[in-house]
Amino acid sequence: MASASSPLDTVVLTIAHSLSAVERTFYKLPGSAIIERYVRSSHQNDPGRTFLELIIFFLVVRTLLQSRTRADSNNAKNFIEFTEKEIDELVEDWVPEPLSRPLDDVEAAELAAVPVVAGPNGPHPILVNTGKPAINLASLNFTGLANNEHIKQRALEAMRKYGVGSCGPTGFYGNFDVHIQCEKDIAEFLDTESAILYWQGFSTISSVIPAFCKRGDIIVVDRAVTLSIQKGMEISRSTIRWYDHNDLHSLEEVLQSVEKERRKRKGPLTRRFIITEGIFERDGTMTDLPKLIELKQKYKYRLILDESFSFGSVGRTGRGLTELYNVKASKVDMLVGSCAIGLCATGGFCAGSKNVVEHQRINAPAYVFSASMPPLLAVSASEGINVLRDTPSLLTRLQDNIRAARALLDQVECISIPSHRASPIIHIYLRNTAYTDNLLHPSSAASMASSKPSNPSSPVPRDVPVFDIEREERLLQEVVEEAMAQGVMITKAKRVRGLEITEARPSIRLAMSSALSKSDTEKAVHVLVKILKRKFR
Amino acid sequence: MALNRGSSPTSSIFKKQKHSPSSPPTAASYLSALSQADARARNAQRGTPTSTPALSLSSSLTTSTEDTVLTEEDGGNSDGLAIPVGKPPNSEQLYTTVHTEFGHCYNEEYRHISQHPQGAPVPRHVEQDPPYYILFSTYISYLILIVLGHLRDFLGKRFRAQSYKHLTPHDGYAPLNSDFDSFYTRRLKKRMDECFLQPVTGVAGRTISLLDRYTPDCNQTQIILDTRTRALNVSSYNYLGFAQARGGCADAVEESMKRYGVTSCGSRLEGGSTDLHTLAESVVAKFVGMEAAVISSMGFATNSTFIPALVSKGCLIISDELNHSSIRFGARSSGAHVRMFKHNDMEALESLLREAISQGQPKTHRPWKKILLIVEGMYSMEGTMVDLPSVLMLKEKYKFYLFVDEAHSIGAIGPHGRGVCDYFGVDPRKVDVLMGTFTKSFGASGGYLSGNKALIDRLRIRGYSGAYTEAIAPPVLTQIIASMASIMSIDDDGSVPGAIKLGLHPSSSSSTLHQVVDYPHPGPISQRALPHWLSLPLPLASGAEGLMRLRRLSFNSYYLHRGLDKLGFITYGHPSSPIVPLLLFNPAKMIMFHRMMKDRKTPIVIVVVAYPATPLVTSRVRFCVSASHTKEDIDSVLMACDEIGDVLDLKHGLSKGERWSIDEVCRRAVELVHIPDHEH
Repeated sequence: MASASSPLDTVVLTIAHSLSAVERTFYKLPGSAIIERYVRSSHQNDPGRTFLELIIFFLVVRTLLQSRTRADSNNAKNFIEFTEKEIDELVEDWVPEPLSRPLDDVEAAELAAVPVVAGPNGPHPILVNTGKPAINLASLNFTGLANNEHIKQRALEAMRKYGVGSCGPTGFYGNFDVHIQCEKDIAEFLDTESAILYWQGFSTISSVIPAFCKRGDIIVVDRAVTLSIQKGMEISRSTIRWYDHNDLHSLEEVLQSVEKERRKRKGPLTRRFIITEGIFERDGTMTDLPKLIELKQKYKYRLILDESFSFGSVGRTGRGLTELYNVKASKVDMLVGSCAIGLCATGGFCAGSKNVVEHQRINAPAYVFSASMPPLLAVSASEGINVLRDTPSLLTRLQDNIRAARALLDQVECISIPSHRASPIIHIYLRNTAYTDNLLHPSSAASMASSKPSNPSSPVPRDVPVFDIEREERLLQEVVEEAMAQGVMITKAKRVRGLEITEARPSIRLAMSSALSKSDTEKAVHVLVKILKRKFR
Repeated sequence: MALNRGSSPTSSIFKKQKHSPSSPPTAASYLSALSQADARARNAQRGTPTSTPALSLSSSLTTSTEDTVLTEEDGGNSDGLAIPVGKPPNSEQLYTTVHTEFGHCYNEEYRHISQHPQGAPVPRHVEQDPPYYILFSTYISYLILIVLGHLRDFLGKRFRAQSYKHLTPHDGYAPLNSDFDSFYTRRLKKRMDECFLQPVTGVAGRTISLLDRYTPDCNQTQIILDTRTRALNVSSYNYLGFAQARGGCADAVEESMKRYGVTSCGSRLEGGSTDLHTLAESVVAKFVGMEAAVISSMGFATNSTFIPALVSKGCLIISDELNHSSIRFGARSSGAHVRMFKHNDMEALESLLREAISQGQPKTHRPWKKILLIVEGMYSMEGTMVDLPSVLMLKEKYKFYLFVDEAHSIGAIGPHGRGVCDYFGVDPRKVDVLMGTFTKSFGASGGYLSGNKALIDRLRIRGYSGAYTEAIAPPVLTQIIASMASIMSIDDDGSVPGAIKLGLHPSSSSSTLHQVVDYPHPGPISQRALPHWLSLPLPLASGAEGLMRLRRLSFNSYYLHRGLDKLGFITYGHPSSPIVPLLLFNPAKMIMFHRMMKDRKTPIVIVVVAYPATPLVTSRVRFCVSASHTKEDIDSVLMACDEIGDVLDLKHGLSKGERWSIDEVCRRAVELVHIPDHEH
């Protein structure tokens, strides 16, 4: 027995010995006391607890080791194992859709009817389509800067000094003195601390928004904002709440509901933004800025205001909505405007405090990753500001023309105009007898507004306006083409259908210009009125 | 770290070397030689009758010496940049460029053709690894920076609360940017702000004028001084050297500004189109060898606004992991599913394709509507080139659509400058969509998308560039037309029958243009396809100068790439790429390298890129060579790198025995450039 037990004893002894050796080394390790205390306190004479801890430990290790990139489609549940041969067959069988569908007749005809100007664009361009001169109510040239000889001269000088391209993003030797000067000019013109230039009007706000709004932030936005804002919000991945188009009462309700939600959830304070447009690209309505500022301050939101169509077109010297309503531009946190539309150059800008601007220089994708604007265009933007500042008569003339046009258009029964009376873009809707007018006309829809507000988390309003896109587009296109044949260049508001969050109603978009005389404007609008009256009696 | 002190005149430890008094005799003799050559040229010109009335000779051929050796405000040639070194030109060699914009280089030896040898395998890019101590010290550096940064934040928030106000909630507003998100910017990037946002003036050509600046408060503010420094420019995207304020292209732009003005007022579909747009699009289509093209006013927006028009929900985008931010922006806003594959790794791509097609859409397993593979012709941070032949082989088998972003490769590579397809000798029509920009090679701005006519017409109305964004400005269009025409060369006898009617249909002109020849390039463009008022000087119109630019660019790219390799540096990328990244690794070396290059007798400005544009450890210098650089310019870049590389311990590439000395590299440059790719 003794001989039999002795090897067993040796084994037991060895184990006991090595165990105590392990224990000794363990206690020698720095921090071992902490681990011991932790294990003891969690164990508490209950092996179940230790087991649970161990499971958690292994889960953590597993999660850490798991590959993150392949998780989305390779995870066990959805992945189907195929043999190589099966995959080959599947590859063989797969028939992709064509990359693009060729244009159908209607689309092709519309593309062919797009006005093309031979030579310089301006108030009286020659159209390639007809070969004849026309009165231009389509191109965006509000204050006639496009044909200003002084600006052209200065741009030419700049070209002889800088060449055409800037050959690099601002970060890498594309930061020309003229860009810095132009940013300064804009900031001074608007009386903000600072401003930053972007190189394309459309990309401006769609880049400003994701620079500030991140996941978890809250954006409260008008239901009818332009596509570039929609795209910016999409990229930002923030939480979006919608308020009824140009209805500040609805805005306040949404702000209250957001606040209620936050209180209920007791979440941390997140960044909150109101995003809207000065003059809406969709229909030319105008925001009531003083009221908006009041709301924003009351509920402590930051305001991103897109002044693409109001900068360089309203206010005594074209400073935009802030000048029109006599509100300090610095009260708008991020004032976005377009140099392409308002100053007839290219690109856009965002004016605001120094912090706001410097933040964008590193975080706004379209600023960081794109070559800067050709210096000659920065110079023409700067000169545009000088011209606006020195000649307020341009703006008076523009307003005179707008009034003259509106006076004529208001007499037409078959159309309705949603645009503000001071807006340099005038949208024309067809009044449609096939449906009841109440549903068609946004303002009348608002007047019969039901007591229940729309759902703020959906971009679709409660009272959805009803219109037949295809029919109206076709009728309006006929009007446009007829007007072009009669020497008036106008255009429909072009949209990519199916791309915007809610569909905009088809409209003809007139763009007024101070480069046209009042009589020319009246003449052109009169032609349009006659066509409209004849077609839709 | 002492590095964030900025380059104020006193604080720099590497003071600008005192200018040795310039040598006026050399400059004077050069000028007189120039004027003599000029006079001879003028006489010779009178003797020969001008070839065609259409290609009238512009004044640039007979400009005086002041125009071609521009000294402007700099006064003198103390930095050695204003006046060419080497032999003055003789009577046959006309100078038509300003030396500071486009260097004079007449030695025909310094030329090289950028072309992939037919049938040869595409060499795989091998990334060299640095020694471990470099990696280790790089990580340690970042660790120190991060610890110091957090320490400063911790103390700053307690003792200088006012300057942290914008990072903390106040008055009921959440901070505009959280201190965590902006940590990298504030605590790491801010230290080396002197490398970024440098204000400049003048033409960003061969040289560039920096507005000197200094910071009194650790880069919080930058104060711009009145003085300027002219520096050799190896940073701007100016591959073919078309960034010029003088010369044939600039004259054409001036003419067009007189005719068309500065702006086009509005979007393409809403009254912002002119006949010049239609024309430019057909020129671009002809240049890249596609049926039709559409132009957008901004390079970034070309991708971000057109990709959503190509694919939508239910489609798959397969994208190279190093694709540019604009592609990611576009892919994200398209609503399609996006998968990435390892950079330029064809096996990874194939296995991803097999998986994607066999598995179908996630969860539903329905087949994908279509798969769009997006790759770049040349990658802007690495200088690597896509393996186009292999991609096309995969395309045949797996039936995906191919979108090649040629932002950096169009104009820059290929024997005719037509990008990767030209480089590999592939028919461009095998690719579905060719995208590119005009910023990099053509000295303009904006971008294009080209493909078959049906596709482009669809994009005109589907892509939101057409309806919502402003049209590109006429002067920029003219720069594009003139520079592209000069590379294609102009055929004045009108080989294309029938005048092209402009504008009636947005892409009708381009389609008529291409019915004549099936595979349109390489080939000259007809004078009739260009604006009637465009008259380029003979060297440009004949294509001789365009060819010279392509050859010089290729020589310079090869020379800098291989020169750096031979000196012992680690570089990335394909030797024919004008982007030459030189690896630095340690973050502190970026600012040192930048400053030491700038403070040389001949100042050189460079671009340093680091995380997040690159992986954390592989911080790098990115040289962009240009056709406007002379061989001597590249020599001086190499010399500077050699000296600085010794000081900063950057030579971790070739072992000591295999390296060449700087003298040997400069002497044997031509030999070095002409070593075939696979033997190097």
